[in-house]
Order: sequence, then structure tokens, then C-alpha cells
Amino acid sequence: MNDMRLTEKSVEANDTKISARGVQVYYGDTHAIKDVDVDIADQTVTAFIGPSGCGKSTFLRCLNRMNDTIDVCRVEGNIKLDGDDIYDKRVDPVQLRAKVGMVFQKPNPFPKSIYDNVAYGPRIHGLTRSKAELDEVVEKSLRRAALWNEVKDRLQAPGTGLSGGQQQRLCIARAVATSPEVLLMDEPCSALDPIATAQVEELIDELRSRFAVIIVTHSMQQAARVSQRTAFFHLGNLVEFGETGQIFTNPSDPRTESYITGRIG
Amino acid sequence: MTFGVLLLIIVAIAAAGYVLGRQRARNASGGDTRRLHSLTGYHGQSVMLFSAVPALLLLGLWLLLQPMLIENRVAGMIQPGDIPEGGSAELVMSDVRRVADGLDLVVAQGALNESDLAAMRADLTNVRSRLAEVGVAVGSEISPNVFQAAKEYRRLDTRFGTAMTIAVIAVALAGFALSLRRITPEYRARNVSEGFVLTLFIASSLVAILTTFGIVASLLVESVHFFQLYPAKDFFLSLTWNPQFRGGSDLGIWPLLWGTLYVSFVALLFAVPVGLMSAIYLSEYASKRLRSLAKPAIEILAGIPTIVYGLFALVTVGPFLRDYFAQPMGLGSSSSSVMTAGLVMGIMLIPFVSSLSDDIINAVPQSLRDGSYGLGATQSETVRQVILPAALPGIVGAILLAASRAIGETMIVVMGAGAAAKLDINPFEAMTTITVKIVSQLTGDTEFASPETLVAFALGMCLFVFTLGLNIVALYVVRKYREQYE
Repeated sequence: MNDMRLTEKSVEANDTKISARGVQVYYGDTHAIKDVDVDIADQTVTAFIGPSGCGKSTFLRCLNRMNDTIDVCRVEGNIKLDGDDIYDKRVDPVQLRAKVGMVFQKPNPFPKSIYDNVAYGPRIHGLTRSKAELDEVVEKSLRRAALWNEVKDRLQAPGTGLSGGQQQRLCIARAVATSPEVLLMDEPCSALDPIATAQVEELIDELRSRFAVIIVTHSMQQAARVSQRTAFFHLGNLVEFGETGQIFTNPSDPRTESYITGRIG
Repeated sequence: MTFGVLLLIIVAIAAAGYVLGRQRARNASGGDTRRLHSLTGYHGQSVMLFSAVPALLLLGLWLLLQPMLIENRVAGMIQPGDIPEGGSAELVMSDVRRVADGLDLVVAQGALNESDLAAMRADLTNVRSRLAEVGVAVGSEISPNVFQAAKEYRRLDTRFGTAMTIAVIAVALAGFALSLRRITPEYRARNVSEGFVLTLFIASSLVAILTTFGIVASLLVESVHFFQLYPAKDFFLSLTWNPQFRGGSDLGIWPLLWGTLYVSFVALLFAVPVGLMSAIYLSEYASKRLRSLAKPAIEILAGIPTIVYGLFALVTVGPFLRDYFAQPMGLGSSSSSVMTAGLVMGIMLIPFVSSLSDDIINAVPQSLRDGSYGLGATQSETVRQVILPAALPGIVGAILLAASRAIGETMIVVMGAGAAAKLDINPFEAMTTITVKIVSQLTGDTEFASPETLVAFALGMCLFVFTLGLNIVALYVVRKYREQYE
């Protein structure tokens, strides 16, 4: 691999934000995730890699209970956010999702103006008290998503009229505006060109200072570039989890080595 | 030779054409059918089409033109004196046709032979009683001229019939021979038969379009007649509707237009919220199983005949509204009211709104829902702020379609709202609509040339323009909506 420098990347010992123990996911009769244990550190970018259908997106969607919207899906095990079980009966998935934001594979701006797209989260959660404050949140989020300069003159234009890369950054701005504690990204760059991808990756690195970021990706280069820790999934099992530099340069499991050198996948 | 036998002969020639065409194509290829441009089946089809289609066209044309030709010839034999007081030439001609048919029957039953018939004269024989014996009733005594005309009618009919049979079979055989001779390995039989199929498609779609034009044209012609008899200014500006069959009527469209719009408005006021909310429930909240049961159940409403809704309005809803709402509130004592018709029509429209809206809401991409849930929105926030705005253009289209349905509804209004043309804002008052008045002006024993009857066509024209406009707006909105997602 061309990322030997990764070993030098410092990984601070951050607090654990999310800890998952013995997670099993079933889709009807299919056992999609088998006994996964993972600790996600705060203010760190964690990458989930693995071949298609290995369960990394499924696992990601467990972390904000998005799987609840799928009827046949069943989650077992224990996932704790800041020490509280998120599958506890007392937890409202809606409030959980305000804390654990998500960016999807395909840009999905609402058919509303750019401004309203970003203001959507703050409005439904009542995060601002005045129009001025909301304006400020929208501007800050768009700036953080590196989109402000491109759209500041047309905030009332429809969000669907932006280019694909801009749309995805708009979706990131939308997720950031809710001020989540964890940001889940499901292949956020798969629909983007290399320039937009570079912008989004840069953005992810900046977001790390404020949230725990978890990114699912098919691009090993991307995982190597943006993440500090990497988890490798294969056929529903978590095969290996550790510091990114370690995984890419000195994997302990032969399956990981095969995957990152391109032999399985 | 009868029509049925002739048709069978054509079919037989065409079938033979198919078989022989295939045979000939196979022979022309010299045993290797891959040398042919088209498969042998296409060669067979081309012979079959050339045998049958021109012959059938000729047959159809002939059957259309023959009565006109014969009538023209025979009409010359009727003298002005043969036309009774108050009758018309057309009535006498229909007598001629009936006598001719009667004579056919007499001959067929063997009561007379052809030569007796030729010698028979109306002034010597009692033709009327002769015809009555075989079950053909003729209104008045048959005059000699009418009888002669009838005999001439029969003679021409037979002669034309024979000519037709010969001509049609000749055309079929000519087509058969010509197309069979044309078969060579290079002959593009496939293109010919596909071209025929294409023509068939075009002709079929033309039927619908031409019918629309025909309807509009007939409406227009009669409307123009009406406006020649009645000033357009009064029709469009007068506020009274008071047709008098003795003449001197007031035929203002406003009371009817008002009634139409009022009833439709009440119907939509009821149907849109109920339909929309049930669509939201079905598409967003209901489980798959419940949806698969509830959706068809709602759609059953669309299958109930409107006359049944009318009965429901007449015996149930009308008295109920009168006894529990109108009378206690002092708003009237009529069980026929705008409210009754509007409410029942609203029930009828629920499936239109709910079923279409449900489809449209389902077409909103799941990714938008995910995006909203991913930001911590509840289901109802997602519905209100993301799904409904995204589906709105389609929902507007559904509502407009329901509206044009409401405007054209007749039966429910007749039975629910009454027939009194009134300009009133009290919803518990009986009123009526354009469609009801069209029916009542055209039914009954009325002359077809007075403004009181012809006004129905002008009303129909207005209604047509109105609903056409609504449909165009609906189509435009729906099309715009389609562009929203890839």
C-alpha cells in the first residue's frame, strides 16, 4: 500500500463514545451480523471496510436505530452510547437520532430550498430561538461543510438543483446543523467525483474535532486517508479492528490481508 | 347470398392465401428458407392481408353507401301528394322501407311468389291486410305510389346485393392472385405485414381522437343553433333560469353554474381531507397486511354505481341532515339540499383522492424518508415537512381529477339536491346543477328546435370547456411532478 506514513499518525487515547457487545442482526431468517464487539472512540474517525454484503452498513444503521424502520429486521445484543443502552425501552429512537446523525450513500436533499434543508433539523428539534440564530446555525453548518461560498447567494434556490457533490455536502451540512455527537456516514463519496470526494474527505477530518465519525467505505485508500481506526467486516463477522496504520500495514488476520491486497472482495 | 356467407367466403380465401403463400415462399427459396428476406409465415400473412383487407373495406363501404343510393333513386317516385298533412318525406320513406321489408317476409313465407307480386297493385289489393297477416303493421293505407316505390326498393336492393357479392369476391381473388404472384425470395413480406399492424394501431388511436372531435363538433353545431335562437348575452349574463315551453323563457346559466360549483365545492371539502388523511395512513403508517386489505376496500367505493349513491342521499342522508341540522338551526325544511348531494358525492370521491394520493406518496423515494429520520424527525414530522411537500403537485393533480368528476356528476345531484335552479348561499337549500338541467331539458315530449331544448347543448358545451380546462391543468401539474425524481 502507498500509505506507510499512516503508522506515524497519532492516535490519542480518547474516551469510548459507543460500545457494542455481542450484536446480532437478523433480516427475517438471514443472520446478517454475527456477534460483533466494537468500541468507537470519541473525536476519532472510524472506518468500516469489507466486501459488499458483509454487513458494515447494517451495523452502521444499528447505531442510530435506523433498522427500526425495516419490519423484518431484528437486533440483539448490547449497544451503549455514553454508557446508556440505546435499545432500552425508555429510549426514544427519535431523540437518539438527533444525537447520532447520518449521511447517506446517495445525496438525498429534501425538495426544499438550500436554507430550509439545513434548517430542517434545528427547526424540528427547536434548537434556535430566533430567526437570526437560525440564520447563524445555517451559515455555520454550510461553512463547516465547505459549501457556504458556493451557495451563499442562492440560499432560497432548491437543494435538488445543486450538483451531486454539492448535494452531498448539503446533506452533511444538514446533519451537522443538528449538532450531533456522533456522525454516521454510509459510503458518502460513492456518488461523487474525485474533486468532490477530496472536499468531503477534508471535511471529515475537520469534523473529527467535534464528533465521533464513523464512515463506511469501499475505498481502502479512503479508509486509510481519513480514519484513525479501521474495522474489517467479512460475511457478517468483525474480523479485525484496530488502528488504521496497523490494519493496513500489519494485519493480524490472513483474511484482512487478502482483502486489502485485493485477493478477496 | 347473405352477408354471413359472403364473409365466410372472404375468410376462406384469406386462409387459403396464408397456406399457399407460405408454400410458394418455401418453393421460391429452393428448399433453403434462409435465402428468403422474410420468414415464410410473413409471406403467408401478406397474401392473407391482401386478400382479406381490400375486400372487407369494399364490403364495408358498399354496405354504407347502398341504402343512400337506393333511397335517392326511390325518393323520386314519391309525389308531393303522397305526403300526408303534417308528415314529412322522411316519414313516407320509412313507410316505403317497412313495406319493402314486409313484402320480403310475404315472399319468404310463400304466401306470394315473385311474379304475383310484380302483378299486384295497391289500388286493387288490400296490401295492408296482406302485410298484417305476416306481422308487419303499417300505420295508414298504402298509396299506389308508395307501393310502387317499395317494389322498386326491393328490386334495387336485390340487384345491388348481387353486384356487391360479385365485386367483393372479385377484389378478394384479385388481391389473392396479385400478392401470391409477387412472392420472391427478395420480397419484403415482413415489412408489409408489420406496416399493416402499424396502420391498425394508428387507426385504433384515431378512433378515440376522432370521437372526441365528433362529440365537440355536434355540441358546437347545436350550440350555434341555440345562440341563433337565443341571445348569448342573456345566456351568459342572466341570473334567472326559468324555461317556459310556451316561449319567453329566461335561460341564464348562472344559477346552474353556481349550483354546480357549490355542490362540487362541498363534495371536495369533504373528500379531500378524508381522502388525503386515509392515503397518508395507508402509505405511511398502516402495516403491509392492513394496507393490502384496506386499499381495495376503499376502492370498492369507486365501483358503486352513482344511482345507488343517489338512493343513499335520498333516503338516508337527506332526511338525516334535515331532521338533525337544517330544521333545528332554522335553515330550511327540504331534504334535498346542496349539503346532501355534496356530502354523498364527497363519499364517492374519497377513493379517487385517496387511491391516487396513496400511489403518489408511495412514489416519494425512501431516501427522503431515511434522510428525515436520520436527522431525528418523527414520522409525523417527516410526513408533514418532507413527504407531503414532495408529493404535493401529484396530490393537486389527484384533487383536480376528482373535481372534474364532481362537476360532471348527475345522478347524485338529481336525487340529493333537487331540481330547483336557485342562486342561494344556504347549503341546506335545494339547488341544481348544469348536468341535471341538461337531462331535464332533453327528456320529455319536446320539440327539438326550440331554445328550451337546444340550451342543453350550450350547457353541455360550457361543462365540457370547464372540465377540459380542469383536466388540462391536472395533466400539466401531474407531468411537472413526474420530472421531480429521476
